[in-house]
Amino acid sequence: MIDLSCRGVSKRYRMRSRTRGPRREFWALRDVSFDMQRGEALGVIGPNGSGKSTLLKLLAQITAPTTGEIVIDGRLSALIEVGSGFHPELTGRENVYLSGAILGMSRREIAAKFDRIVEFAGVAPFIDEPVKWYSSGMYVRLGFAIAAHLDPDILLIDEVLAVGDAAFQEQCLERIRELRRSGTTAVFISHDLTAVEQLCDRVFLLEHGRVALHGRPDTVVREYRRRFVAHGVSAPPGAHVGADVSLDAVSLLDGAGERIASIRTGDPLTVRVAYTAPSSAADVVVEAFFYSLDGRVLFCQHTTALDGDRLDLPAGRGAIEFACIEMPLQPGEYVVCGSVRDAATQHVVSWLSGPTLSVRPGRMVRGHFYVPHTWRHLAAGAHDLALP
Amino acid sequence: MPGDAAPAAARPVTIIRPPSLSAARLWHALRQLPRYTDLTLVLTAHRIRVRYKQSALGPLWAVLQPLAMMIIFATVFSTISRMPSNGRPYALFAYCGLLPWTAFSAALGSAATSLVSHSALVTRVYFPREILPLTYVLAALFDLAVASSVLALMLAWYAVPITPALLWTLPVLLLLAVLALAVSLVLCAVNVRFRDISVAMPVLLQFWMFASPVIYPLEAVPHAWRSWYLLNPMVGIVDSFRRAVIEGTAPDSAALTASVLTTAALLPVAYLWFKHVEATMADLL
Repeated sequence: MIDLSCRGVSKRYRMRSRTRGPRREFWALRDVSFDMQRGEALGVIGPNGSGKSTLLKLLAQITAPTTGEIVIDGRLSALIEVGSGFHPELTGRENVYLSGAILGMSRREIAAKFDRIVEFAGVAPFIDEPVKWYSSGMYVRLGFAIAAHLDPDILLIDEVLAVGDAAFQEQCLERIRELRRSGTTAVFISHDLTAVEQLCDRVFLLEHGRVALHGRPDTVVREYRRRFVAHGVSAPPGAHVGADVSLDAVSLLDGAGERIASIRTGDPLTVRVAYTAPSSAADVVVEAFFYSLDGRVLFCQHTTALDGDRLDLPAGRGAIEFACIEMPLQPGEYVVCGSVRDAATQHVVSWLSGPTLSVRPGRMVRGHFYVPHTWRHLAAGAHDLALP
Repeated sequence: MPGDAAPAAARPVTIIRPPSLSAARLWHALRQLPRYTDLTLVLTAHRIRVRYKQSALGPLWAVLQPLAMMIIFATVFSTISRMPSNGRPYALFAYCGLLPWTAFSAALGSAATSLVSHSALVTRVYFPREILPLTYVLAALFDLAVASSVLALMLAWYAVPITPALLWTLPVLLLLAVLALAVSLVLCAVNVRFRDISVAMPVLLQFWMFASPVIYPLEAVPHAWRSWYLLNPMVGIVDSFRRAVIEGTAPDSAALTASVLTTAALLPVAYLWFKHVEATMADLL
């Protein structure tokens, strides 16, 4: 029983430039074909720009293909950025009805599921308050709760799981597993390789708009990681690798010193850079970089030049460690690189592209990154101190 | 056009293909619409509720606009310069024309930009996009109903007899809604690509109002121009509405027929074009 079928689907975007230059064409998807059996869970992974979100939009009928045909047997619901339909002036109850209607539920259906939705979100005492008073957590939970009770035949899920804290993540995953057990077919389009591996029966890898690989989750995910670490992050121009100090390995450790490949947002992380110095090297700077998987976006760069003491490496082997108590990176995949630089000339002496760090949802990220912080309620006497 | 749904026994089957202009697509799009009645009603109610919740005067705004315009026009055209009004009190004459006109222009003004203002929805969820301008047209009709309360008062004040001809207002208003929807579909489709529409709307509507017998009677238009004049579908609508309410007579058949024909010709063309643009709307929003 085939639930979803794609045949020769391509999508072309035409870029019109204002200055009437030649119209650039960009094929986001090229000749994508696949079938999905009833009850199957399909994962779609790929680097940025591979066509994942275009495929998602096509399956959700948000835009139309340029060529090809998609046949969907059953009711399909897409969970794309839940909570976006909320109107701040309306109460939670009114928003549930509005959002539910937008997602395709009939009024009767919403009324029947209302209590379950509110319970799942855990906002029962506040359901008749305007949502502008809700905390960001409540907002997201209510949004997901509505979408989670859709009971579609085919479920389309994207990075919607990247929001919320760890407890909520677990709740969402459990709900998805429940839907899967009841035979719902699911398409998972995500950067979260761990979730994709756990939840999917089959995975395919999109690269430059084409299906580059498909097969078992563990095989495809492993191949994906291998391809991207192999192509990795190249050393910056001007680096003469291998001269004085050479880097042997970059490894990732958790708070207890154990090797790991994945952490959650807000977990401690140590990056250990192992080096060999044939002769002693004076005044060097060691750096730890966190890049996106395709090596294009630099998320953060920490350097001993800014906040470490002067570093002189004696001859022989050793290691430098970068330790962070609460890693602020948001969920995603990163490549960790290390480098050694001469402090005086600023030349990069050695560079090594390291392992992939998988960050799972942990501390809640609202925005681009998590900031380690505490909150305190001060007594009345402190009130005036806050005034300008 | 995306979405060619034929509701089967239990599971609907949807076929998504590249956009194309064809009558078959149009038919399938229409067959899908009943599935979205709930959504249309919820969005319309939401539209109305939000508008009234956010303003202190609330429902009064629905009355204020035609009323204020009527006062201005009545003052100008009764005292400063005389305007013929078929022997009827000018205030009543003007209000009777302004009522359907305000509904039309409010519907058009808000519906034309509805897709752009709801771009967040359009790029995330699928539903037939024509529902968005439709909800604005329905909301404008609701406002019309509220504003007719003042009309009822005026009829009583001027001791205008209520005749069965009043029932003509219902099909006329239905025609108004259909016309508003058809024009909105065209404007929406254009607005997605050329955002200037929202700037041009006030000017367009102003021009259109003066090209319709809102503040002056149809009879005042010179015969030589009459046939061109009748090409404006709002002519038949406004004139018929006024006749039914004040004169108590059936509509002028030439004017109303012209309106019906123009609207009937416009709607399928507008809808077809809209559906064609709808397919790739999300790419531009």
